Amino acid sequence: MRLMVIRVQRRCVKPSDFVNFLRGDLTSVIEKLKSLKKVGPNKSAGKPNGNMLYLIFDNLELIREWDKSSTALSFMFNLYDVLKMHELGLIFISNTSPDTYYSNMGYTEHVPVYFPEYTEDDLRQILMRNQPNRKLYSSFLDVVLRPFCRTTRRVDELSTAFSPLFRKYCEPLSDLASVPNEEMKRRLFSHFRPHIAPSLNEIFWVPSKSSTEAETNKDTTRKGSTRKSEVGDHFAQIDFHMSTSAKYLLISAFLASRNPATLDASLFDSTGGSDSRKRKRKASEKSIEQKEVAEQELLMKGPGTFPLERLLAIFQCITSAADSFDEDEHENDDLRAGGDGGLMSDVLLQLSSLCNANFIIKGGSCPLEGSTRYRSTVSEDLALKVARSLKFPLPNYLYRR
Amino acid sequence: MGIENLAEKAQILIRSRLCSPNFIFKPLSDSSDSNYSKLKFIISSSIMEACNNSILLLGPRGSGKVAVLELVLSDLLEEYPDTITVIRLNGLLHSEDNSALKEIARQLCMEHHLLFSKMASFDDNSQFMIAMLRECGLAHKTVIFALDEFDLFAQGKQRLLYSLLDAMQTVTSQAVVVGVSCRLDADQLLEKRVRSRFSHRKLLFLPPSKEDVQRLLEHILSLPMDSSLACDYAAEFNEKLQSILADKRFKEIISNYLNSNSTTNHLLRFLFIAISNMELKSGFLSLENFKAALSSIQRQPKQECIKDCSILELYILVCMKRLEVREQNSYNFSSVMKEYKSVHDSFPTSDYYAQNVCLRAFEHLLQRELICFTDNRGHSQSIEFRQVKLVVSYAELQEGLKSYRSCPVSHSHNSICF
Repeated sequence: MRLMVIRVQRRCVKPSDFVNFLRGDLTSVIEKLKSLKKVGPNKSAGKPNGNMLYLIFDNLELIREWDKSSTALSFMFNLYDVLKMHELGLIFISNTSPDTYYSNMGYTEHVPVYFPEYTEDDLRQILMRNQPNRKLYSSFLDVVLRPFCRTTRRVDELSTAFSPLFRKYCEPLSDLASVPNEEMKRRLFSHFRPHIAPSLNEIFWVPSKSSTEAETNKDTTRKGSTRKSEVGDHFAQIDFHMSTSAKYLLISAFLASRNPATLDASLFDSTGGSDSRKRKRKASEKSIEQKEVAEQELLMKGPGTFPLERLLAIFQCITSAADSFDEDEHENDDLRAGGDGGLMSDVLLQLSSLCNANFIIKGGSCPLEGSTRYRSTVSEDLALKVARSLKFPLPNYLYRR
Repeated sequence: MGIENLAEKAQILIRSRLCSPNFIFKPLSDSSDSNYSKLKFIISSSIMEACNNSILLLGPRGSGKVAVLELVLSDLLEEYPDTITVIRLNGLLHSEDNSALKEIARQLCMEHHLLFSKMASFDDNSQFMIAMLRECGLAHKTVIFALDEFDLFAQGKQRLLYSLLDAMQTVTSQAVVVGVSCRLDADQLLEKRVRSRFSHRKLLFLPPSKEDVQRLLEHILSLPMDSSLACDYAAEFNEKLQSILADKRFKEIISNYLNSNSTTNHLLRFLFIAISNMELKSGFLSLENFKAALSSIQRQPKQECIKDCSILELYILVCMKRLEVREQNSYNFSSVMKEYKSVHDSFPTSDYYAQNVCLRAFEHLLQRELICFTDNRGHSQSIEFRQVKLVVSYAELQEGLKSYRSCPVSHSHNSICF
């Protein structure tokens, strides 16, 4: 059916105006449909046939976040009764179930049509579509579909996860059009099996390096990662580029968010955090219960906010401490050179780019000082990884309750 | 004509009946003590005697207040063709005084073929309305204001209601205000100065009784013998319908459905789905159609949501439940992850995933609204640290887990343990 495009650009603020416009436009469209029907009963292709008009509202649940959500929603649901046009049908599409729309306003209910999530068999049928070598893909799905279905049952997420995996699965094959027999399947599976577990723990995959380079990297990391957690072993290296000073800034922001501000002085004195052992013993003297409560609190509160001054002070401290740690390494030459004043503008630039990349977010401004406060969103794993790449002893500076 | 063709015609006929309020409410309004007769008597007497009047139609949503009003209005427009002007307002659209007066002026202009100015101010429109009311009164024409969602007009300063009712008191006007509301205390919402100008006539709309429902069902579902449909087909259809209507199981279905809400529109919605379920091959309604309609309307949305979850999402739900059972009232994603880890430590399974995968599952749950944030503030904090809560009850969760096809053992174990 051809779409009838109505080009209307009218500004209307009030629902009453909207209804008047809508009624006028709808009647004219319905008239047009009727006249078309009268003219051409031969039902030539491309001509609209019939005289029903449907208004479709997708993602209805977002309306609830509007300012005047309660009136807007009841207005939407009552639109049919308000317009009183028999040729009109309203279709609402929502991600959430109808019971999430009940409110004290009350409205006449609609006919529910429920679309259940795809089952494993449905997913198999959908993913099999448009596959050139169906037999091969089917044997691939036999291996991956069940484990992946345990984490998500969405077609979009599964298909993005499967496309690189299928390439990996096919790697030993010379001829992609060949029909795999049992022996071949076994061989493919034994080649493919080590890749399943890590890919289950990824949500997206960026092919940043060429495949051979990635391969060698993986081999080296796998050797070292046996003692680490089984989770995501090829995340052991950070897979993005970042300048050294940005890395330091990232770590300073992480520290500023995690550590209480009152401890800054003792942590960042001239000894550079080497007295951390002393503090640790003190902390362990506390009762375990108290510790648990504090830990719980930390979990609940999440990373704290900090002013710009504190961030810069920590940044200064850790860069100078890093210098004292590895005198021999010339990696930090550029930092040392600009350690006074001249570096500041550069640091502010780095800060703004870190903000843009969402590593650091700007929180609300402090009511007393009026300055902007920042918050680090980086997880501890990533911060540790970045620190490792700098050979910076981050755990020494982290305050553990 | 094949039976499928006939059945399709019958289906279309019944569906068009269900969508037309005139057809539904006409037979209910024959008797002299029906709301239809009362309303018609009040309005037509104020037209005849050239006086002002105001009425409230009260009753639950879907009980046919507007349908009866429209029926009365269309009858009156036929009886007194040139003496009535109907102005229709809706509280959802015109609860604001300014837009309400604008709409009144617009409809008055439309009706009397005058030029409507969009730029007119509130005072202009209000003066125009009063002048029009006076002119109509002098010409012995009645203006009927139908105010749907009347309770919404009673919000705020009620300037519209006051100026409308006041105009009806002072000048020689001839107007009827009909308020329609689902709030039975709608007249108590009025300010003193408005209430004193309002005549307290109320018509109460009650849901149909059992006998009425039975009559309504027959009226809607039986096919006419004199239409284009083949006579023997219609006869057979009606005969089968009678046997269904008399069936005890059918009566059970209907009373079960009407238990929650026994208004007419609620019944019509049910019939619409049942008619759409009709099998065109056999050509007749069957009890199964009504059964299917009942199960498609009476849903358990939360349990369906749980059935749609993946195993990992169920894990997160169970972890949250365990936290709640331990009376840990405030928790967020990070504490759920801690619980997830401890569950995994005590019952090791292959279902232990990285934090980012869990976060994605967590977001799916948020999208499905099986869980939600406890507060709308704190948008600056990332999702991991915002407080969440379950919005499914324990019983629903338990029931959902039980009916889940391949529920892992530890889940059911967990939910029984706690």
